[in-house]
This record gives sequence, structure tokens and C-alpha cells, in this order.
Amino acid sequence: MRTREEQDIRAVELGTAEPVPVGLLRRARGAWPAIVVFVLLIAGWEAAARAELISRLVLPAPSKILVALIQLFTTGLIWEHLRATFTETMAGFAAGAGSAFVLAVLSSFWGWFRQIVSPYMIILQVTPRVALAPIFITWFGFGLMPKIVMAATICFFPVFINTLTGLLNTDEEALEMFRSMGASKRQIFTQFTMPSAMPVTFAGLKTGITLALIGAIVAEFVATSQGLGLLIDRFNFRLAMEETFAVLLVLSLLGLLLYGVMEVLDRRIVFWTREERLSKKEIRSRRGREDTA
Amino acid sequence: MVGEGTAWMEQPGRATDTVSGSGGPTVRARGVTKVFPRGQVVALEDVSFEVRSGRFTSVVGPSGCGKSTLLRLVAGLISRSSGELEVHGSDVTGPRTDIAMMFQRPILLPWKTALENVVLPRRIRGKLADEDWREGRGLLRLLALEDFRHAYPQHLSGGMQQRVALARLLITGADLLLMDEPFASLDEFTRERLNLELLRIQSEVEATIMFVTHNITEAVFLADQVLVMTPRPGRLAGVVEVPFGRPRAIELLRTPEFNDLAFKVRGLLGESI
Repeated sequence: MRTREEQDIRAVELGTAEPVPVGLLRRARGAWPAIVVFVLLIAGWEAAARAELISRLVLPAPSKILVALIQLFTTGLIWEHLRATFTETMAGFAAGAGSAFVLAVLSSFWGWFRQIVSPYMIILQVTPRVALAPIFITWFGFGLMPKIVMAATICFFPVFINTLTGLLNTDEEALEMFRSMGASKRQIFTQFTMPSAMPVTFAGLKTGITLALIGAIVAEFVATSQGLGLLIDRFNFRLAMEETFAVLLVLSLLGLLLYGVMEVLDRRIVFWTREERLSKKEIRSRRGREDTA
Repeated sequence: MVGEGTAWMEQPGRATDTVSGSGGPTVRARGVTKVFPRGQVVALEDVSFEVRSGRFTSVVGPSGCGKSTLLRLVAGLISRSSGELEVHGSDVTGPRTDIAMMFQRPILLPWKTALENVVLPRRIRGKLADEDWREGRGLLRLLALEDFRHAYPQHLSGGMQQRVALARLLITGADLLLMDEPFASLDEFTRERLNLELLRIQSEVEATIMFVTHNITEAVFLADQVLVMTPRPGRLAGVVEVPFGRPRAIELLRTPEFNDLAFKVRGLLGESI
């Protein structure tokens, strides 16, 4: 007699033909060529910089960038700016993605609403929004607000268009099935349309969050009193290239972090598109909700 | 593959009168016509028939004969252009709780487990109680899928997915079950097995079934009566009564009586195939 857990594992396993390696170790083993190339690249760069083959104004040595980076944190200079840029990006993303989502849902409900709204969406999308930055500064001053608005406008479109596409592109036969069950419009939306649009929506959210960061930095370049954009501008002006590159590195890491969080959320929420089998723990956590019988 | 379902298979031709010929009308259609407004396509023309309670009715015909349209009309998913159509004595005006439908594809939600998919119709009707989960689990047991209740549909085979869909159909408690080529996309062996399971389940739940197929053998083997339809425009060419008793075993297919009936159905289809 198998235990219930073994049965569940078996159930999930039976469907997957090819076992997919998941362990961190196995993944790392496959990544060694990439690691070797990376190390060689950095070493070559360091050597070239030390031999003064490249001017430090073009590419400072990696070791010097690292020192500058550490200093940025030990002196505490970076925190205020990092906090500002992070806040702008997150607030902008929340406002942009949130309103895009709501408008997409409303557009999917009513054709007439979609007709009214879509010309503005397209105009907004084809206008280089970077050009709006000076206007936003004029409207909202030098504080966080113009950057938030900038981040919001720039991340709006991919979230809107992806969500709308996902919501409209539903399986007709599935809708018929729900109607045959006597489901209300609201039930069809919550039980079917919304979840089936999630994979596409998340693709839009992932693009959106990186765009929000771009929007925040662009607005900071135009005029600001704080932020990583300001820091880059200031260091670059003084030709302090090591520091400039260090801030750039911080920006990359911030972007990576934001994208990573979205990726994790995506994999958690839209778990059904994943190829690998579920782990034992996941199966256990998904059970229980239903196992009162 | 299902323990309790195999016993009767070894006793072909056992006479029984429990199912065929019993009950009043569940579906009554009089001159039902469906014209699709776009292009004025006549999908169904003047179709009249009766389905008595507890009987298994196959609807057979080539593609374009309007058999799926007919099923959707009975389900209340589309509205007829003219004619009368009653289920349990009341006019069909839209989807109803006493009618349930199953489609060619299983249409399972990939974010719900097998069991969660099965109880979906109950969830649509209201908050889920312990009783609903218990019933869902019982139905999966009936279909030999209890071990797979926590598996996601994409991890199940095509046949298993369609069995989950069958459990979801049964949990509605509807006594008129409409099935639109439910096993057509499965391989021959799986289809045969599921057909036998369907017969077993029908006798257990005592439902009235309308089963659309384009396979004559399947249509005759399963049914108490076969509605034969021809295309352009969709018309009812005739109704063939199937007198074989139940339960039926696969050996029935080898008898001359069975072949005579299958040829009779084929004759009604005539030039249309």
C-alpha cells in the first residue's frame, strides 16, 4: 500500500516523459563554459586597463570600479539616491501597470470603451515618451513626482496591450462550456478569462518593470535633486569614470533584482505553464485546501 | 481496467429491459430549424424527434449535417430560428441546471487539479461544501482516477483528461447529458474503453444521454435509438431503434443483427457520405 504522498508524486510524475534536472548543482555544472568566458573577459579587461592599452576615461579597470563601488556604500553616499530611484520606479510601475491593467479589463468588457481608448493608447505609444520628460518637470517640479509619472507612462503600454490580448484571446469552446454550466459573466471572468490571461499579462509586467526603471532614470537626467541618474550625471561630468561605472553597476543590479522578483512571482502564480514537474513541497502546499473529503 | 466494470462484459447478450423503452419524453423537438444569420446558412431544417427518459440516443451523420448545432440548441447555448423544443416539458430558452454538456476537447483548467476541475460546476453554483469535494472524489473513484485527483490536467494522458471531463459532467447532477463527440480525438483503444465505461456509468446514474458521433459502429453500439442526419441542409433522415438489451459487451459487434442495424443506418445516410 502506497502512502497518499507517494501516490501524489507518482500521479504528477506519470505525465512527464523526460525528467528535467532542477537542482542548483546540476544547473551550475552546465554553466561552467559561461563562467570561464566571463572570468577571461574580466581578466583581459583588467590586464588591458593596467597596461594602459585603454584610457581610464574610456574603460576604467574592473578592480578600480569595484573599489569605487565599495566606497559608494561605505561612505553611504549611494543610499539616498538608490532609495529615490527605487521609490520612483516602484511607484511609477504600480501606477502605470495598475492603471494599464484596469483599462485593459474594462476594454475587454466593452467594445465601445476599447474603441474610445485605443487611439490614445497608440498615440501614447508612438510618441517617444522620453521627449515628455521636460514637460513633466515643468508640470510637477524637481521632486519624485515627474519621475514617477515618467516611469508610469513608459511602462503602461506593454502591460495594457498584453493584458488586453490575453483577455480577448480566449478559448471560445471553453466559454461555451462555462455558459452551459450557467456561469455568470463575473464568474467566467474570475474563474476563466483572468487566469488564462495571466501568462501573457506577466510577460507584459516583466517588460514593464524594466521600462519603469528606464523612465525614472531618463527623467532624472533632465532635472533632479537626487537619484542614481543624478549621480551618474555628476560623476560623469567630473570625469570620475570609476564611480560612474560603479553607479551603472548598481543600476544593473537594481534592474536585475526587479526583474528577478517579477520572474519569481510569474513562476509562482502562473505555475501551470512550467515544464518541470512540481516539487514534493509544492504538491503538499497545493493540497489541503481541497482535502477535507 | 475498472474492476467492477468488467464482470458483465463476459456475459454477452444478457437480456434486460431496465433501460430501453422506459420513461416519458425528456426531449421533444417539433420542426426545429436553425438558420445562421451570417450568409443565411440553413444548419438545421425541420427536425422533429423525441428522446425518452433514461434512454441513450446517438446522433450520427457526416460533418456539416448539423448534429453539433442540434446539441447546442438542446443545451440552450444557441437559439432556434423556428420550431418547438422542450426539455422535461418546458421550453428551452437558455442553459439550465437539468441539462449538462460535454465537448470534444476536455477543456480542463490547467491551474486547477483534476479534483478542482471536477467540482467546478458546483463552484459555479455556489460556495463549495465538504460534500462537493467528497462527491467529486467519489466520481473520480468511479472513473478509476482517484489516485490522480491532485495531478494537474497537463500531466494526464488524453484519455484521463476526458475521464476528468466526464466526472465534471456527472457532478452537475443533470439528468440530460449532451455529449458532442467526446472521445473522437482519442485513439481507438482508449475510445472503446471509455465507451464501455460510459455505458456502465449511464446504467449507474440513470441519465438520459444524447451522444453525437460520426462513427456508425459507435452510434449503434451505445444507443437505444440512433438519429441519422444528412447535410446541406441538416435534416433528420430517420430514426433507427436499437433493440439490443443491456448491459452490452464488445462481442455484440460481431453479431449479424448488429451489422444489419449498422447497414440500415448507413443506408439512411445514403449519398451524403
